[in-house]
Formats: sequence, C-alpha cells, structure tokens
Amino acid sequence: MNVKKQFEEGLLTKNPVLVQLLGMCSVLAITTSLFNGLGMGISVTIILICSNVLISALRKVIPSQIRIASYIVIIAGFVTIVDLLLQAFLPDLAESLGVFIPLIVVNCIILGRAEAFASKNGVIASALDGLFQGIGYTVALVAMCVIRELLGSGTFGGGLLNGGEGIRIIPEGYPAMQMIMPVGGFLTLGFVVAGFQYYMRRRQSKKKEGVK
Amino acid sequence: MKKESTVVYFLRLTVTLLLICGIVAAVLAGVNTITKDKIAAIQEQKTLDAIAEVLPGVEGLEEMTLSGDTGIVKSAYASEEGYAVEVAPIGFDGEVTLMVGITSRGEVTGISVISHTETPGLGAVAAAKNQRGEAFRGQFVGQSGSLAVGENVDAISGATITSKAVTEGVNAALAFVAKNFGG
Repeated sequence: MNVKKQFEEGLLTKNPVLVQLLGMCSVLAITTSLFNGLGMGISVTIILICSNVLISALRKVIPSQIRIASYIVIIAGFVTIVDLLLQAFLPDLAESLGVFIPLIVVNCIILGRAEAFASKNGVIASALDGLFQGIGYTVALVAMCVIRELLGSGTFGGGLLNGGEGIRIIPEGYPAMQMIMPVGGFLTLGFVVAGFQYYMRRRQSKKKEGVK
Repeated sequence: MKKESTVVYFLRLTVTLLLICGIVAAVLAGVNTITKDKIAAIQEQKTLDAIAEVLPGVEGLEEMTLSGDTGIVKSAYASEEGYAVEVAPIGFDGEVTLMVGITSRGEVTGISVISHTETPGLGAVAAAKNQRGEAFRGQFVGQSGSLAVGENVDAISGATITSKAVTEGVNAALAFVAKNFGG
C-alpha cells in the first residue's frame, strides 16, 4: 500500500474528471456555483468511500460473473439510504443537495472505482482510494465552478458567501450568461482539461530532465 | 478444488445475486420505515409554511376535496378570508410547484415556490430568497383577473419560460377560485 502514490493518482495522474474523464454528465450539469461544486463533490466523496469499503470487503464473496450487477445494487442502495436519511434528519441540506443525490447513482466514477480498484484491493486501501479520488473530483469541480460562475454570473462563492448571492466581481449586466448554460460547461471543461494536460506534460518532462 | 457442475455453477451465481438484492432491499425497507413518517411530516410542514407565507394571519383554512380533472391545480385550502391554491405548471425543466394566496375578492396576496428544478441563476431566480426573486414574486401581489407576461408581469431576464410557467400557475389558481367561489 502506497498512500502517497494513491494520493497523487487521485489528485493528478488519474484525476477522475481531468484524466479519466468519468462522470462528465454531472460535471457539466452542476458546475454553475461554488456551493453546487462543493456539495456534489462532498456527496460523491462520502458515497465513494462507503461503496469502496463495502465492495472491497465483499470482493471475495461476489463471483466475478455477476459483479457489475452486484455493484450497481449496492451503490444504488447506499445512495437511496443516504437520500432518505438526509430528507428525514437534515431537510435543509437535502433540499440544497436534492438534485445531486439521484445523479450520484449514475455517476460512473463510483462504479469505475469499484471495478478498477475496490474489487482488487484491501478495505483500507479502498477507503483511501475513495477519499483521494473524491478529493480529486471535488477539486476539479470547484475549479470549473469558479471559472463558470465568474464568467457567467460575475460572482464568486454563489450559494455560500454573502447570504447566498456570492461576492460580485463583474457588475451585473456584463457577465456572459452562456457560461452557466450547457455550452459554457463544454467550453470550460475543454479549456480546463487542456490546461491540466499542459501542466502534466511539463511536470513530466521536468522529472525526466531531473533524472538525466 | 473439484470442478463444479453446471447446475451448481448457475445456482451459486443466482443465489448470490438474490442474497445481495435481498439484503439491500431489506435494509432499504428498514430505513424507509424509520424515515417515512418524518419525511411526510416535513413535506406537510413545507406546505403549511408556504400557506402561512402567502396568506399571513389567515386562520381556519380547510383543505378542499378536489374532484375530477383540475388541471395543474394540485390542492386548495379555503377559509372565509381567503384561499391558498397549490399549482404545478410545467417550467423549463419539469414542474414548478407554487402556492398562490388569493383573497375572497379574487386578488393575489402572494406566491411562494415550494419546489422546482429550474436552471440555477436563471429560472431558479423565481424561487430565490434574494432581491431579484422577491421583486419577481412581488409583482403578482394585488393582481386579479387574467395575467400575461409582457402585459402585467415582467419576465425574469433569461428565464422567459419559467416566468410564463409561474404566470400560468397564478392564472390557474385565480380561475380555480373564480370558478369554485364565484370570485
């Protein structure tokens, strides 16, 4: 088990959004304000840790031929339990996260990590994998949110700071509303992935030079 | 390990999957039993809060039994002083559930959005608890008869469809009261 390597994989070399390009549907749909990004990121991280742990614990019990069906049942079950508990005991949070919770079931990061990692590794390593992949997902989401919110609504921290309105940076009337519409999601994702790949290339070539 | 027969092989797969599904279903049933009443109570409280918001200080409201096809009118509460009508017009992205308060003279006292799934920053402004949201909802107060976006209602910029849906809901509520109470 190599915690440092796992951390680096989740955040950089195997970042779920920017490298594996998993879960694009929710990434494009919800990255319109900082609150949405953080909310979705944290929800996915929690579910990812739970499902990774359970699937890793059951990896020797579940026959490989029916593993996908079993994983989906387990993940959907987890998400529904969390959804019901939130609605009953934390109604305010459930209301703000309402749209994200059903999206988590169809988020392929969860199934992807179950298949690629949790089904082959121990419980603790799987929990860490869930945590780091979740952090990587959240960071990518927050980066997209900040860009789209600034260009589209002209604010920072929407839904969180300044009583939910966010701090206004660009005066009203000037922001390009398209940026918080679907087209802005695709544009931002393209530029963020390109920028990230550029950074990773430079990082790699620097490492090579260091070896020489 | 001795090679298992085809029958045992299929049985092992089916039984394992059946067990997993069974356990998950049982856990879900358990969680549902614990949370069912609480969720229903919270939903009811939300409706009551919405009524109190659109008809402040009005007491003795009783839920009406609706019969037949009432269109987008979902439920209605009546008292001598006024009516609260819950409507669910179709917005940009699914239903926008609204509570509309109407006086016995057929004037709107206020509207409150109970639930919606409109675009954040655009259609969601209609439900937002900020200056723009309150300005949009406030323009319905005191209106009566039939409303139309562009005539006596200003649309939220970038959210014409949501604005029209809300207006449609208010119109349906006004028509419902006029029809049932001769408003």
